[in-house]
Amino acid sequence: MQTITHPIRQLALVVAGFVVAVVLLESQGLASWADHLDIGPLRTVAVPVTGAIKKALDPIGIGAVREHALQALARVGWSDDAALLADASGNARSSSPKPAECVLPALSNAPNAASIPGSKPGTATSAVHPSIPGTTGTFSNAVGSQTPLLASLPRTTTLAPLPPIAPGKPRVVALAGDSMMAVGLSATLLRQAAGNKDLRVIRAFRSGTGLARPEVFNWMDEYPAMIGAEKPDVVIVAIGANDGQGFVVDGKVLPYGSEGWQKVYQDRLASYLAMVSSSGARVVWVGLPPMRIPVYNQKIAAINRIAYTVVSQSPQATWWNPDSYVGDDSGGFREFETLPNGQSMRLRATDGIHLSDEGAGLLTNVLMKWLDPPPPPSVASVGAPAPAVGVAERPAKPKRRVRHPSKG
Amino acid sequence: MLFPTVEYALFFLAVLAIAWSLYRFPQIHKDFLLLASYVFYGFWNWTYLPLLIGISIFAGLVAQRIQRSQTPTAKKRWLIAGVVVCLSALGYYKYTSFLMTTMLQVWGRIAHPPHIQVYSPLLPLGISFFVFHAISLLGDCYRGKVKEPVQLRDALLYVAFFPQLIAGPILRASRFLPQLAVRRNPNHIRINRAFLLIIGGLFKKVIISNMLATRLVEPVFAVPQSYGAWDTLLAVYGYAAQIYCDFSGYTDIAIGCALLLGYRFPRNFNAPYTATDPQDFWRRWHISLSTWLRDYLYFPLGGSRNGRMRTYLNLMITMLLGGLWHGAAWTFVVWGGLHGSYLVVHRLWSRIGWAPLVRWRATAAWNWIARILLFHAVCLGWVFFRSSTFAIAFDVFSRLRVPGPATLATGPVLLVLFLGLAGQFMPPRWRNGFEVEMGRWPAVARGAAVAVAIAAIEILGPTGVAPFIYFQF
Repeated sequence: MQTITHPIRQLALVVAGFVVAVVLLESQGLASWADHLDIGPLRTVAVPVTGAIKKALDPIGIGAVREHALQALARVGWSDDAALLADASGNARSSSPKPAECVLPALSNAPNAASIPGSKPGTATSAVHPSIPGTTGTFSNAVGSQTPLLASLPRTTTLAPLPPIAPGKPRVVALAGDSMMAVGLSATLLRQAAGNKDLRVIRAFRSGTGLARPEVFNWMDEYPAMIGAEKPDVVIVAIGANDGQGFVVDGKVLPYGSEGWQKVYQDRLASYLAMVSSSGARVVWVGLPPMRIPVYNQKIAAINRIAYTVVSQSPQATWWNPDSYVGDDSGGFREFETLPNGQSMRLRATDGIHLSDEGAGLLTNVLMKWLDPPPPPSVASVGAPAPAVGVAERPAKPKRRVRHPSKG
Repeated sequence: MLFPTVEYALFFLAVLAIAWSLYRFPQIHKDFLLLASYVFYGFWNWTYLPLLIGISIFAGLVAQRIQRSQTPTAKKRWLIAGVVVCLSALGYYKYTSFLMTTMLQVWGRIAHPPHIQVYSPLLPLGISFFVFHAISLLGDCYRGKVKEPVQLRDALLYVAFFPQLIAGPILRASRFLPQLAVRRNPNHIRINRAFLLIIGGLFKKVIISNMLATRLVEPVFAVPQSYGAWDTLLAVYGYAAQIYCDFSGYTDIAIGCALLLGYRFPRNFNAPYTATDPQDFWRRWHISLSTWLRDYLYFPLGGSRNGRMRTYLNLMITMLLGGLWHGAAWTFVVWGGLHGSYLVVHRLWSRIGWAPLVRWRATAAWNWIARILLFHAVCLGWVFFRSSTFAIAFDVFSRLRVPGPATLATGPVLLVLFLGLAGQFMPPRWRNGFEVEMGRWPAVARGAAVAVAIAAIEILGPTGVAPFIYFQF
């Protein structure tokens, strides 16, 4: 075959042509990429540079062509982005449930204010939670009041029984969240619910998302689009693993853990909770399990406290601690578990973050009993609410205690 | 740093410019590429950079020792020591968890296992690839295939060179080190071939693989019970296309990037689903791995030199270990075992010398039947490869017998599935012809055309890019 030779000059010209054309065609994409970067030096440089390029090239109109192309692709079913699809079909928000305007009850007795590692202690100035915005598509950016974080997480939680379902009408359950729901939990629960005519499970989760960066993935748009016209009776949420990062609000960088960050994140979490429970759904907010890397675990513990503080104010929602199922005796990270029957299992994925299918199964077994309780033994109790499901469902651990490596 | 990202594009453009500005100074040029490779690797996680550097230095020093040893016994001793250390590192990081889980499960069947509180190590990115590079360096020095004395700096760059670092192709020391020994010649860059490889790779990875993964394969393999036969069958075919496009797309980008820097990497895929027998398949699928396993495992085991039964045993051992290399789980072992048995059965079948059968095997009709049979046998293996547990794999098989509509068969999914599978039958002359045609365009226009192609891929691609499958290996 003919060998085609090119000197460096030709390579330089090709690269120059490439760079100029990419900047022209992708100025909007580059600006969007810069916006999505984690807070840090790269973003600090990239945002103004790409922003200036975009501003200079906007008059050409290529960005508008790009948007039209994306809309057209969504219309023919090319895109799997629920919000984009909804926008393209023109019914984006018409059928979406709008979160009700609600004021969460005040916390009467918050022993300790927030204390996220590396941040100033929270100054609890008001016990009244800010109102939840009444429209979808927006997170609250208010940096005004803040509910003081509750001091400690409950180790055990009881899930109050659900009302019985009407005959022939399945209970609609939405699974929502990020990869903490997508990996392990959702697949295990979906498999357990497959073929169960009393349950209909909706997928409303997406990996690599969170509540901290709505400019990257806006759950206030995406969740309504994902559930469409459905009105879930129960929403199971597992989210927050990607939220240990700073963000920008009104041009101001709020580093992770700072007072402003906590307030905004708390508001965003509250907005999300109000949205998912707006159809009257009962919400089970599965807390994040202990993580293997200590620094990351500290962040996750702080996010759990914020979630618990917000969730515990809602009468419809329950924050559920997974530690007693997948953690060690002191609530720390645990990779393997040996059940009393001698069966050994891996509780966590090899990344030390997500749950394994078997680990998730310890949680979903409890959830399934709660969602679809076994029929009562006697005819007399038909229609009666199922008993509460709590930590007692967890298989007891063997008595033998083994020293934790980190404790020497 | 993933290839299909803006970060990598910026990094690569900078490296390309600086590397060519330094090509007249070979030592500085190589030092710069080594530094760039460490930045590339450290961008993901600096924690494991010392491991990469440590294994590279160790392999380089042992390779020098092997070359300097005067007796075959001393050479062999150094080789064994080097291979044991490299495999120990791989074993510790990759297989500790697997061994621990297996041990506890077996123990649990016999008696109550201990209540342990241990952590398995986190898997460093690309460890399977850079350990295999280190072993190739040792093996090629032992066999005398590396003629020149190994320079430590070259050994470091060979193991860590960023285009191949995290997902191959697996380079041979004997073929790559000579490239480092001479000054880069910019006249030997094939710009058009390189850009076609990069664009083709991006198309396969970002569009075909991602769409099949998110809209067909993941839903079915997560909950097979929710889907009927048509969806399940499509998902199995979809995974065959997804893994091919994902992996071959990534290595095409790697080969293209290396080519722009003036280095030649071996071809890693050659239309594997056009193969008509298992041996042919392994000459076309992940070629750099299959030849590595052949040269450093199958041949040392004796290859086909010690009789038929021993040959079959060697094939099975090679493929079982090849399966385990892909992932620390029994499902991967079964996948390797299936391919080993395919190779054995094919050898037995090929030995049948009945004249009518020999004539029939030479016909075009048989070639197509064999191709289809082999494709389905490969798909059978992919089900185990993709499933996280045997229960899921058997659920997938059982759903193939349950009637049900093809709910996931949307137009875009079927289109990319067709492109992923049928694209392998595209005559190579089309791409070669286009490469020649591109060579006639002005240089700036070629660059602009590449930009248009990449912009189109960006628009057609899903939001976000699914993680690359082969990272886990």
